[in-house]
Amino acid sequence: MEMTKGLVSILLTAILTNNYILAKFLGICPFLGVSKKLNTAMGMSVAVIFVMALSTAVTYPINTLLVSRDMEYLQTIVFILVIAALVQLVEIILKKYIPALYSALGIYLPLITTNCAVLGVVLLNIDEGYGFVESMVNSVGAGLGFMLAMFMFSGVRERMEANDIPKFMRGLPITLVAASLVSVSFLGFAGIIENIFS
Amino acid sequence: MAEKKSLGKEFSKGIIAENPVLRLVLGTCPTLAVTTSVSSAIGMGVAASIVLICSNVVISALRKVIPNKVRIPAYVVIIASFVTIVQMIVKAFVPALDAALGVYLPLIVVNCIILGRAEAFASKNPVLASAVDGLGMGVGFTVALFLMSSIREIFGAGTFMAGIKDLLAIFGDVSFNGFSVPFLNENPMLIFLLPPGGFFVFGILMATVNKLAESKGKPRAELRGCEACPMAKNCNLHSCENSSKEVNG
Amino acid sequence: MKNMKAKDIIIPALALFLICLVSSALLAFTNSITKEKIAQNAVETENASRQIVLTGAESFGEVSQRENGLTVCEAFDAEGNVIGYVYTSSAKGYGGSIGVMIGYDTEGTITGIEILSHGETPGLGANATGDKFKLQFSGKSGPLTVNKNSGEGQNIQAITAATITSKAVTSAVNAATEDFMKTIGGGNNG
Repeated sequence: MEMTKGLVSILLTAILTNNYILAKFLGICPFLGVSKKLNTAMGMSVAVIFVMALSTAVTYPINTLLVSRDMEYLQTIVFILVIAALVQLVEIILKKYIPALYSALGIYLPLITTNCAVLGVVLLNIDEGYGFVESMVNSVGAGLGFMLAMFMFSGVRERMEANDIPKFMRGLPITLVAASLVSVSFLGFAGIIENIFS
Repeated sequence: MAEKKSLGKEFSKGIIAENPVLRLVLGTCPTLAVTTSVSSAIGMGVAASIVLICSNVVISALRKVIPNKVRIPAYVVIIASFVTIVQMIVKAFVPALDAALGVYLPLIVVNCIILGRAEAFASKNPVLASAVDGLGMGVGFTVALFLMSSIREIFGAGTFMAGIKDLLAIFGDVSFNGFSVPFLNENPMLIFLLPPGGFFVFGILMATVNKLAESKGKPRAELRGCEACPMAKNCNLHSCENSSKEVNG
Repeated sequence: MKNMKAKDIIIPALALFLICLVSSALLAFTNSITKEKIAQNAVETENASRQIVLTGAESFGEVSQRENGLTVCEAFDAEGNVIGYVYTSSAKGYGGSIGVMIGYDTEGTITGIEILSHGETPGLGANATGDKFKLQFSGKSGPLTVNKNSGEGQNIQAITAATITSKAVTSAVNAATEDFMKTIGGGNNG
């Protein structure tokens, strides 16, 4: 029970209060870049969840190995290479064996290698000292939080299209101000988390 | 003489005309994340600049040796090595900065500015020009972070450069430890330090820069969906092209 | 033609391998230089924090591990008498784990606390590192609770708009106090 409660707490924190985009500012490029249409935003998010979970599953044992050999200093370099290789591998496998899934997700995969949210979640799992199950839950939570932020923001942007925006604010500035408002709404979750778990 | 002039140009373009953050809209993650205080913003700027200059020099020196096929992984390895070296040096000599930057220090690896410059400049230009390009872009990045963090810290905390003492500790004992801004110090507008404040200040800053650029007859800075991404050339994605067109159009 | 193809694969792979090799060697070298300095920094910060939470202590004994990730060490005065204990503890805050160091006198009264590490929001939870919050703990003993309005008695007044952080720090302190009572305090009082 205690264990489940801890895991649910990690999951909700990663999705809502510590949202990787809106609170930790990781993965801002796709957040601003591919959030203009709902379906592209969702495709990107599913691919991110998938890669985050996979990278965590693969880097966790590698990190244990590095720590046991006293070579923690190789973490960054090893992780980024593993993530890059993994993304390539998944792309090749999907293309060959599951073309349907490839046509849905494959196109987003190469962009994810340089997405700082993926490397971020792997490094933060280690910083927090999470075990394997906790790390996986945190990664999936981070991915779901990414999806939630993308989902909300693409809705906001679709509406913004039709509005008459002052000329100097058009484009990126108004997008950032809108992101600021979405971020304010996420601040409200702090109280919810606090009252569920105390 | 001509050579000197062009080097000067490589340097200065990074600061104003092609400022990586305010004009090319790269490296947005650290720009938003570490700008809650001026001292950590300067620290991030300097750390990223060092990595940028070193990786530019090495990549430029090896540009004829690295096979084209494994270009990107090779760049990533080189960049990651310099990031780790900088990280270890920071941990050893400026522990306060390591604590302030946290996970954003190793995340310099995926800062698009660095891989972007490697691909766009260092892989095609001689060593000296690449070093100067790296320096200019680094200074431009630092200037942008400084602007953002000054606004956020002054309004959000009522201080300016608080904690700079720990950063300057490597140069010996410095007594200067920032200013406190009257009135705002007692009544800080906290929202500027919180995540929404980061997005808002960045938005306003972009609007101002765009306005200035337009008055000089230069194009506005636009978020470039995919062509800003260093991986863009490797992905012949129709959706990628579409998304960047959407953003630009 | 076939030979060409093999060359096309081997040369890039070899180049990448060489780059990785040189990089790793360079990192190992830097690590060997900075490792000691980093370890020394950690020890120095820890000692400095210990002095803050338990003023008057001249030296500290060996650190021993307790359950739930707590650590404890004895503190001695100039004559070598035990004058208190220093615990380190941690709890999950708003932005990740918060590391706390707590000093006790021999009776189990808190002499001071120090925040060792945190990832709390600047301007809100990060205010836990300020004296206004930390000094509330000094002189208190036994289990503490967080209260939004008052810091009297067994209460700790929460930091404005950062209740989660305040609760996390308090629960880290309580965990250490509980262990103190169970092991050291219990032993002394029979």
